[in-house]
Amino acid sequence: MDLRSSVAAQQYAATRPATAAKQAPGGMGGLEKAAQDFAQTLQKGEETALSAMAGGADAHSLVQALAQTELAVETAVTVRDKVVEAYQEILRMPV
Amino acid sequence: MNELANTLAVSASGMKAQAGRLRFLSENIANADTPGYRRKTATFDQDMQAGQATGQVTTGPVVLDQQPLARIYSPGHPLADENGYYDGSNVDLIVEIADAREAQRSYEANLKMFEQARQMSQSLLQLLRR
Repeated sequence: MDLRSSVAAQQYAATRPATAAKQAPGGMGGLEKAAQDFAQTLQKGEETALSAMAGGADAHSLVQALAQTELAVETAVTVRDKVVEAYQEILRMPV
Repeated sequence: MNELANTLAVSASGMKAQAGRLRFLSENIANADTPGYRRKTATFDQDMQAGQATGQVTTGPVVLDQQPLARIYSPGHPLADENGYYDGSNVDLIVEIADAREAQRSYEANLKMFEQARQMSQSLLQLLRR
């Protein structure tokens, strides 16, 4: 048996421990992007509200931005409720 | 969800355009007695972004009504010519009021669409709650 190839395989295995979290291709990135979109929507709503107070933006864009922010917050709250509910369901599971 | 958000944006643009139209109408009514004033009319254009229509509406450049100005007989007026006439405005109050009512109805229609899109998105999220 070639010693070098087994050493190389060992080192290759050592660089990827089995317990390390694998970077899921879609799952984590999608969630991260959704969170970024959410934060962006909130920020846009805040900016529009600020400029409407200062007299820059008109009431229509204020109402539109606030409606979109409300929508985003409601979506986030609903998803969070679902996740917490699922987590509690797991905690209640008899071991 | 994106479609409903787009609906909100389109309805808001419609309301904004009608508000701009109402602003010109109020200018016309305020200047109904101004000599030489031509009534302003708002034009509506499709909103274009990167060469593609977004579905939203914008108000285009102001167009002045080229109908002849009203000749008003008033010999004591400083602007009156040798025959005692001067050029008034070509604003017809009845037309302005009718136009304003049309703007109001259009605004209400856009408002209803806005409300409906919001209700639809909220009832969609209601599905997830029990």
